[in-house]
Amino acid sequence: MKANISSAVAPAAKPPVKVVLVEDKAGVRDSWSKLINSLPGFSCVNACSSGEEALHVIPPIAPDVVLMDIFLPRMSGIECTTRLKSLLPKTQILILTAVEDDELVFMALEAGADGYLLKRTKPEDLRAAMLDVLGGGAPMTSEIARRVVESFRRASKLPKPTVHLSAREEEILILLSKGYSNKEIADQLSISAETVGSHLKHIYEKMHVRSRTEAVMRYMTTRP
Amino acid sequence: MFLSKIKLCHASCRRSGVWWGRMFFLNLFFCATTGFTQPVPPAASTNVNWLVEATNHLGQWIWDTNTLDKQTCRFWKSFEIPRDAKISRATLRITVDNGYTLFLDGQEIGRGSDWRTVTEYDVTRQLNPGRHVLAVEAFNDRLQAGLIFGLDIQLVDENRSTIDVVSDNTWRVVPNTQRNWASKITALPDWHRAIVVGAVGKPPWQPWPFGLSIEPPLQPLIVHFWQAGWFQLSLFSVSALALLFCVWLMTQMAAQSKAQRVLQVERARIARDIHDDLGAQLTQLLLLGEVAQREQPEDAAARTQFNQICEQARELSHALDEVVWAVNSRRDTLRDFVNYVCKYALIYLDPTPIRCRLDVEPEIPPDAFDLPVRRNLFLAVKEALNNAVKHSEAGELFLRIYRKNQKLVVVVEDNGRGFDPAQAGGERNGMTNMSQRMSEVGGECNVASQPGGGCLVEFTVPLARARRLAWFSPRPSPGEMADMNAGVNASGPADSQNG
Repeated sequence: MKANISSAVAPAAKPPVKVVLVEDKAGVRDSWSKLINSLPGFSCVNACSSGEEALHVIPPIAPDVVLMDIFLPRMSGIECTTRLKSLLPKTQILILTAVEDDELVFMALEAGADGYLLKRTKPEDLRAAMLDVLGGGAPMTSEIARRVVESFRRASKLPKPTVHLSAREEEILILLSKGYSNKEIADQLSISAETVGSHLKHIYEKMHVRSRTEAVMRYMTTRP
Repeated sequence: MFLSKIKLCHASCRRSGVWWGRMFFLNLFFCATTGFTQPVPPAASTNVNWLVEATNHLGQWIWDTNTLDKQTCRFWKSFEIPRDAKISRATLRITVDNGYTLFLDGQEIGRGSDWRTVTEYDVTRQLNPGRHVLAVEAFNDRLQAGLIFGLDIQLVDENRSTIDVVSDNTWRVVPNTQRNWASKITALPDWHRAIVVGAVGKPPWQPWPFGLSIEPPLQPLIVHFWQAGWFQLSLFSVSALALLFCVWLMTQMAAQSKAQRVLQVERARIARDIHDDLGAQLTQLLLLGEVAQREQPEDAAARTQFNQICEQARELSHALDEVVWAVNSRRDTLRDFVNYVCKYALIYLDPTPIRCRLDVEPEIPPDAFDLPVRRNLFLAVKEALNNAVKHSEAGELFLRIYRKNQKLVVVVEDNGRGFDPAQAGGERNGMTNMSQRMSEVGGECNVASQPGGGCLVEFTVPLARARRLAWFSPRPSPGEMADMNAGVNASGPADSQNG
């Protein structure tokens, strides 16, 4: 392999971001790891071919970021995300999907994923997305925002709603669903873009918490 | 059931003439109203006159060679009316000790069981020139038996001549084994002659018969067309055909709804195949391109070429997504459509100076929204967005989607420089395109704009009402949906084999 340009450019003072890839197709796996390694400040420390392998291999590594394919043989990427997140709450998990399927993405976010990326994303955008997640941001599109608002509203009609959105959080989501960018929202609400990001992060966490508690409640109620 | 009803109805209409006759008979007997001759008690002074009158034209009592108790005896007689004869009136009188059934030309004329009363039938309308057959099935209860009969046919000619057919020994006795004897035109050799057993008014039939009852003139049976066999048969066939047609239609509909389901499953499969095979391989190609690009020196010409390849592959992947979206029957819902259009608008306007604002009705239901409507509406909205980017110079564009009166309304509104619709008629080709797309799916397209006042394009399409008949065109059952989903999810292992 050629000399890695990124390692020459990036100062050695800061350790590279540890990335683990979960992808079942060998060719794609190789390409992704090469691409990640080529990004300055990132290093692909491992690549797993299945969810089972990921659960076995990833916890000891405790990487900063996991890139997770959604369609995996046997255990799906979504289930793997749920399990990994409970083992490694600090690890950021990004879902990789071939097509943008809101339903799947929403399920993945509820499972605890911190964001999602299309497989055709440019490497530069991939890097930006990973940095964003590491910096406490949470990428969210208008469709997902609309879906999140709807799901929380539906849940709030239940007799014992587990988690609520704060008024500010809902405001941000509604603006997002109307097509406003994070920056525009920040301007409109006179807060910083970082605050918007952290609100979104909270929303993700609440979604995750809600889906987990709801799952537990379902489990408890279905048991005699 | 239906058939037997027709038969019954047939029988009843044949009998109706007889039935009327009976009624009339009763009338005469009990009310003693008018008539040819009134029934008179035997002791009355007019007894003789009456008897002469009543027994006019009658023959002699005849019977079979043997007289038995409980005997049924069949008498047969044929006669001829000359070809040029014109009948003015024909009456026949009959009585049998003890009872009879009378046939003329095979048709039943009447029955009687009170042998002491002579019954008169008017058969004027039954007779015409030619050969006729009289047949009497007579029954003797016990002791003496006899048939007495007289047919008087008055002709229209200067002589006022008559033809008389009376009971005598020229009548034939038909064996009881003979079938269809009442309508036989010629006597068979084994039909022996009847014998005369007595004259009128002689013992043991004296002083009887003492009564005369007159049946009303027999009318030719009027068979209405709806009583006719051919009509009932054709009515039945038409009904049967209609029933068969209905059954056929129902099976067609069932088959069609099945075909629809098969089509949906097939579309899901095609979508899956495109996504799994083409999409996955395209992604691999893209990644290989990206890796190859990165392995080139920074300033190499090949690097830009690889970049171009990657961009092309990215666009292709994007186009592929659009095809998958359009083909995938799992996306045949209103909610998916709305999501897709919004996403498209955001991505499409992202690199432009126009900010896209969405104003979408919350909680749009996942109702059916079929492919042609969805595709045309999407392409029309695309056109409107394209126009806005090209011509409007707007800073903001609103995409509003909401439902109103069973219709879906999509509004594309910008705050750009606008135009005068009156002037821009033919020049803006996109407008006719959009209108045509809308009219194809029964929708409408309205454009409102004025110079400096932005532009508003409103699309309206009818929404299919939830009128699906559950038993005819069931939506894919949860099982089938699970199959489709499982198919998508199962792509993993299948692809790993490919890989």
